Parts: sequence; C-alpha cells; structure tokens
Amino acid sequence: MKISKLKNLWHLPLLLAILVQFWPLVFMISTSFKDMNQIFQASLNPLPLPPTLVNYETVLNNFPFFTFLNNTLFIAIFITVIKLVTSVLAAFAFVYYDFKYKEVIFNSMLLTFFIPFTVLIMPNYLLMSKLGLLNTPWGVILPQLVDGMGIFLMRQTMRGIPKALLEAAVLENASPLQVLYKVILPLIRPSATAISIFFFIDAWNEYFWPLLVLQDKGMYTLPLALQMFISAEGGSEWGIAMAVAMLTCLPPLILYFVSQRFILNTFMQSGVKG
Amino acid sequence: MNNIKLTNICKAYGETVVVNNLNLEVKQGERLILLGPSGCGKTTTLRMIAGLESITSGELEISGKLFNTIPPGERNIAMVFQSYALFPHLTVWENIIFGLKIQKLPSEEIKKRAAKALEILNLTGYESYRPKELSGGQKQRVALCRALVKQSPYFLLDEPLSNLDAQLRQQARTELVKIHEIYKPTMIYVTHDQVEAMTVAHKIAILNKGTLQQIGTPKEIYNNPANTFVAGFIGTPPMNLCKAHLLYDKIFIGNECLVLPEKYREVVKERSTVVVGIRPERCTLEKSPMVEAKTVFVEDLGNQRITRLQLKTGEEIYVSTVDHKYSFALAQGFSFEWENVCFFDVGSGKNLIS
Amino acid sequence: MHKSNWQAWLFLLPATLLFLIFFYRPLIENLYLSFFQWNMISPTMKFVGITNYHSIFVSAELLKIFFNTIFLVFILLILNFVLPYIYSYILGHLITKMQSFYRSALFLPSTISLAVASIIFLWFYNPIAGPLSIILNSIGLESPRWFKEDGLVIIAIATIIAWKSFGYNLIVMLAAMVAVPKELIEAAKLENASNWIIFKRIILPMTSPTALYVFTITVVFGLQYMLVPVNMITQGGPNQGSSNLVYIVYQYAFVFFQTGKSAAFAVLTMIFYVVILVAKYKFIDKKVHYEN
Repeated sequence: MKISKLKNLWHLPLLLAILVQFWPLVFMISTSFKDMNQIFQASLNPLPLPPTLVNYETVLNNFPFFTFLNNTLFIAIFITVIKLVTSVLAAFAFVYYDFKYKEVIFNSMLLTFFIPFTVLIMPNYLLMSKLGLLNTPWGVILPQLVDGMGIFLMRQTMRGIPKALLEAAVLENASPLQVLYKVILPLIRPSATAISIFFFIDAWNEYFWPLLVLQDKGMYTLPLALQMFISAEGGSEWGIAMAVAMLTCLPPLILYFVSQRFILNTFMQSGVKG
Repeated sequence: MNNIKLTNICKAYGETVVVNNLNLEVKQGERLILLGPSGCGKTTTLRMIAGLESITSGELEISGKLFNTIPPGERNIAMVFQSYALFPHLTVWENIIFGLKIQKLPSEEIKKRAAKALEILNLTGYESYRPKELSGGQKQRVALCRALVKQSPYFLLDEPLSNLDAQLRQQARTELVKIHEIYKPTMIYVTHDQVEAMTVAHKIAILNKGTLQQIGTPKEIYNNPANTFVAGFIGTPPMNLCKAHLLYDKIFIGNECLVLPEKYREVVKERSTVVVGIRPERCTLEKSPMVEAKTVFVEDLGNQRITRLQLKTGEEIYVSTVDHKYSFALAQGFSFEWENVCFFDVGSGKNLIS
Repeated sequence: MHKSNWQAWLFLLPATLLFLIFFYRPLIENLYLSFFQWNMISPTMKFVGITNYHSIFVSAELLKIFFNTIFLVFILLILNFVLPYIYSYILGHLITKMQSFYRSALFLPSTISLAVASIIFLWFYNPIAGPLSIILNSIGLESPRWFKEDGLVIIAIATIIAWKSFGYNLIVMLAAMVAVPKELIEAAKLENASNWIIFKRIILPMTSPTALYVFTITVVFGLQYMLVPVNMITQGGPNQGSSNLVYIVYQYAFVFFQTGKSAAFAVLTMIFYVVILVAKYKFIDKKVHYEN
C-alpha cells in the first residue's frame, strides 16, 4: 500500500504540467466563443456563457478566410508530397547502396537540420527575387522541398527492415525501384505516414518564410493572416484573433488526434543515434 | 552441365580475411553441404555464389561461365534464407509468385508452378495466409516453395532449418531430400549442424576460419578426417584425440606400451610423437584392456552409454557402447582395433594416412 | 550492399540539389555579401573589406545581442532540457499508469503553430485584461508590461518557445528513458538503491547520448523558434531588448536593409553554431557513454 501511494505522488507534477500545457489552449478556445464583454469581464472564466459564434461569423464574413485556407492547403500539401519523395529516395540510397563518402554525405544532409534559418533567408530571398518567384506560392514552396530530419527518420525506418527481405527481392531480379515500391514502401507505410503528417503540420505552421515571400494579403497563409489581427486591430479584437488561431490550429490538431500513436513512435526514434 | 566451381576464392573486409583461397566444385544434381562452426565463412561463401557479397579475388564459374560480376538477379539462383525472408505484407501466394511476376511469366504458368509447389510442400489451402499467421515449419516450407517455383538449376540454402525445433527439423530434412530428388538441382546447403550434414549431403565441405579443411562424402569425412579439426568437429562425442610417443616399433598411449603393427610404422615414419584418433564407438570397455584407464563418469542416453575414462597421463577418452556387456564398474580400460585408428601429425594436425 | 555508384547518386540527386541550392549556397553567399555594402535594391554593390565585421565588433550592440542570446538560451535550457529530462524519468520509470495519456497530452502543443502560440500568449500576458494580470491583480500585484521591459521580454518570449518545444523534447528523452532495461533498475532496487541513486548511476549515464541531442536541439531550435514570437510581438524591441544573434541577421537584411552587416552577422552566427556543434562532437561526445 505504501509503495502505491508513493507512486501516486509522482502523478502530481505530471498533472501540473498538463495544466500548464493545456491552459493556453483552453483560453484560446473559450475566448474564441466569447463576445467582447465576456472577454474583458470574465477573462479567467474558461466557460463562455453563453457561447457565441459571433467571432467565427466575423472571420468568415469579413475576411477572405477561405482564400487563406486554400493558400495554406496548397502550399502545405505540395511541400508534403515532394518532401516525402525526396526523403524516400535519398533514404533509400543510403540504405540500399554502398558508395564512397556515404557517411560524409549523410551527415552533411543531416547537418542542414541545425543550420539556423535566418542565416539562409537573405540569400534565398535574393534567389527567389531573381527568379521572379516573390509573392507566389512557389517562392514559399521551393526552399522547403527537402528536409534533413525527414531523410534521417526515413532512413531509420528503412533500416528496420531485415536485410534478407531486400536480398530475397534482389535474387528474384527485382530492380532497385521494384525493391523500393514492392518491398520497402509497403513495409514502412505507418512510419512514412507519420513522417508525412509531420511534414504537413510543419509546412502548415510555417510563418517566417512565407512572411518574407508573400506580400499581397490575397496570397497569405493562415499563420500569416494571424498577424493582421495583432497589428491592424491593435490587440482589441481578441475574440476574432482567437477564432482565427483556433481555425489555424484545427487541421494539425485533428491530424494529431487521428495518428498520434504513429507520430509519437516516429518522433521517439528521432533522438536515437543511428 | 549445371555445375558450380570456385577457384581460389577469397573474401576480405579490409584486413580481415573471411574466406581464404577456397577451391570447390559442385556437380550437377549434387547436394553439397558447407559445414563449420559459426564465423567459419560458410555463409559468406554461399552469399558470394548468390552474388549478395562481392568476391575479393578468385573465380566463380557456374555452368562453365565466369559469374564474378553478374548481378544476383541475373544468376537465376534460388535461395532459402535462414530467416526465411518472407515478405510480411504479402500472402503466402503472393510471396511465392513474387519472383515469377517480376520475370513477367504468363499468368497460367505462374499459377501452374505455384499450385504444384504448394501441393508438394503440403501448403494447399494456406494461399491467403500471411506469414505471421503461420507456424515456423509452415514458414520454412513457404520459403522452400518460393525457391522451388523458380525452377532454377541452382539451389542455395542458408541454415534453412536452424529456426525449427528438433523434431520438426528431422521431418523437414527428409522432406528436403525428397524434394531434391524430384528436381535434382545443384544444391549448396550451409549448416552448422553435423547431423543435418551427415544425413542430407552427397558431399560435405568443412570450413574453419575461412579455410577448407576437407571435402568428401559423409563416410569419408567420418572415417577418415583430414585433420584433427575435422576429427574433433564431427561426431558426438567427437573422435578421441590423444598424444602418443613412438619408439622404434613401440607406441606409448597413456603410459601403456603397445606394439605398433608393421603396416602403420611406415605411416608414422621417423616421428617421435603423433596424435592418435579413435572414434568412441570403435573403443570397447574391457576387463583386461589394451590401455588401462579409470572410469570417471558415465552418461546413459538410453540407447547408448558414454563412458568417460581418464588415462594415467591425465588425458580423457570417451567410449560409447550400445551393449552393456561390461558394467563401467568392472572396466579397467579400453581396447581398439588398429585399423580403426587415425594418425595425425602433432604440428600440422594432418591425417598421416589420407 | 550494392556498389552501383551512379544509381545511388540518381536517388540522391533531388535531395542533394535542393540542399546545395537552398542550404549550402546561402552559407557561401553570406560570406561573399559580408564583404560588401549594399541595400538589396541598388544595382551596385560596394566592396568594403572587413568593415562590416569591424563595425559589428566596435558597436555596443554586439554585447547586448550576445547577452540576450545567452540569457534566452539559459532559460530555454532549464525549461526545455532540464525539465523534460526530469519529467521523462518520472514518466518512464516512476509511474505505471496513464503513461500514454501523459505522453500524448504533453506532446500536443508541439503540433501548434508558433504564430498561434504567440497570439495566445500575447493575450495571456496582456497587462490590462490578460489572465495573468488578473491573477496578479487579485493577489495585489500589478502586472508588468511583459513585452516592453528589458529582461522580462526575454523571459516571456522564452515561455512561448518552451510551451511549444517541451512536448517534443520530452518524447525524445522518454524514448531514451524507456530504452534503459527495466532489469537494470530492478536489480538496483534489490540492492535497495534509492530513486536518486538509480537516476544518477544508471539513468544518467545510459541516456546521455540522447540528452546531448536534446541539449543541442534546445539551443538550435530555441533560437529558431524565437523568430516567430519576436517578430510578431516585439520586432526585437524594446530597444533591441529581445533581439539576439539570430534575429538580428533578419533585422539587418529586411528591416535596416544593410545586407553586408546582415551577412556578417550570419557568418558570426554560423561560427557560433559550428563552435557548439564541434564542441559537442569533439569534447562532449567522448565523455558520453554510448551503448553501441
């Protein structure tokens, strides 16, 4: 009995952490359903009484919300698909082939993961400007089509496949591409899905690079549009801002709820030294 | 002629030599077993033949053609992996026809071959199962099936039965020989299990530390081991090996002075010491033995009894008996026939007769 | 396994090209630009040698920026490295129930956009009507203007980043924690070792490679993530009080239009990172216990 009571005590810090992590979200949700009076008079009350949809109505009626949504979707899906392809192909090369400088090349790809983003923005911005891609989705997409972490995670998953399976396929005269899509891809589908979702969430949430590239409001993505509610409205339209915030984080949250087991397992691998 | 010939084959990883100057030939339809302790290079040799491992030097000829650089897929070799290497995402049927579909055979032919193989291996009815729903023995048979449908003249097996339990293994062994008799492919079979080797092989090649020790029929290997390594590796318990001193026509085994028959004096020549080897079951326990020894321990296996004796010089001898004519308590030592004795060089361990 | 070099390169080609163009080329271009004076618009660039570097080193700004960076990193290390470490131990070894619930719940904020996080916290820290100010008022304190005061602004920004990164770092650490064989810990418990001794003697050495990874990403990602709240909320203010080595690269390029100085700062930031990474590999990795 004594042991189990002591064990239960360890739940306290964890519950505290959950409280801290969830409080901001609860506030976002409840504020988005409150009208102006409720926000300022009952800002600590997590329950909007009565809940109102006025903020959401304003967002949908007064702002080109669906334009923002489309822009974000297009960019995020495009990036996800291409990133998946480049990561799978590169990881496959690292798993299937033996070649000179393999480790050096792999490490130099992984290392890009650690390059601070601001170091890259000015030269990439100048390049996009030269190519005339500023203020287009392509300017946002192009520099994000490859991911060191993605290649690392993909390689980790592929390494989990027993070598004999690949060899069995090779003995049957399967070409490298056949080995990839007949053996490897079906076997890594759960992890590859998780990695894609991670790509998608990342691309969806991206704020800084689109901010530099996209100038027209009609081109904005949702995270960028959020900015309009702080600067323009001077911070008084909190309900509307929270409604947009809510809508912005809804797709990632839904994807997370649907696939959290795969996502967590894949992320747990990411710190494993390979 | 679907033969496989290895000439001076070497495999090295950097400085480490795994296979050293290997010469082997497997004739068409022959079952050759590569036998040796783990790390002896037998699997590496098999993988070089399959093309999964590059050949550092030497020549690999298959059907008289140089195969060193031919990619594995174009060698038309069927292989069974130790882990079976069944594709977990495919059904039994899809696993079996995997290679045939890549070869783009007509679907009628694919169906015919697969159905036949499934029938031979008693797997009819399991077509839509996935590997994880099968028992170990069934998986092993599916792996065999996949190799069979290829109808390749060459059959490589890498410890195919090592993941099965003892009972199944015996059954699978018999089945394997039966299947080989039907198709008569040229077969190379890697194992570390000597019972498997003795029962399956036409010929056994014994490897140790990457070097070929002996190649011969199971009988030759058993009765006439080429050196002390083979003698000590084959048989349970293995051949008794003990050092003996020679003086003119006398030989001293465990302080016992015996007369070496004329015929063998020629063999040992001017040596002053030699290693003699006698199979435990060629020794008999006696009341008045040729060599006196003390009984140390007796193991009764039911059908045979293994008696451990200690010579006066301290060396140990195993005697295996099936009849219980002499109780170990009465035995004063053991006797043997000279024709059953092998003589090995002390330094090199080579058999002096063969 | 397979030696066909050219085939391997074919598979690597898309990734390699993209990396070269969008990651390695900028590093070199920065070095080049750092020797010129330019405003991104004018058709001509003026070669100025090391003037850009010189003016950075003589300005008082560098010290402030550097101090801000160190301060931010310090807070982040406590919130996103030390805390997840302790929590992952509790989660992995001290409790037996509800593990997957905690895991999933604590990771959740990591999926949320930093832009969203910034908005929420901007409201949360709002000195007039924000939840925090109301709590402070109720216990008789007056809320400071979090984003307008030196020092405080860095703490406030750090909490936003910490909120987002905590879950990810926890999960990664947890993977290492649960990889420690239970038998080892049970054996230690049979010897009557306390949780603290188990932590120090078994957990700490066996999880050190991953801890090192989390340490590195705490610094690297922390400085990366910082861009969003700083830009959305403070734009580096008040009076550069929330700017740092990473943000100032952006400021010089896109706010002050001094590409030369921006590039020079980028080069310095890169050197700062290389020093961290090299130190990690050369000195710390050797002291760390690797299992294989």
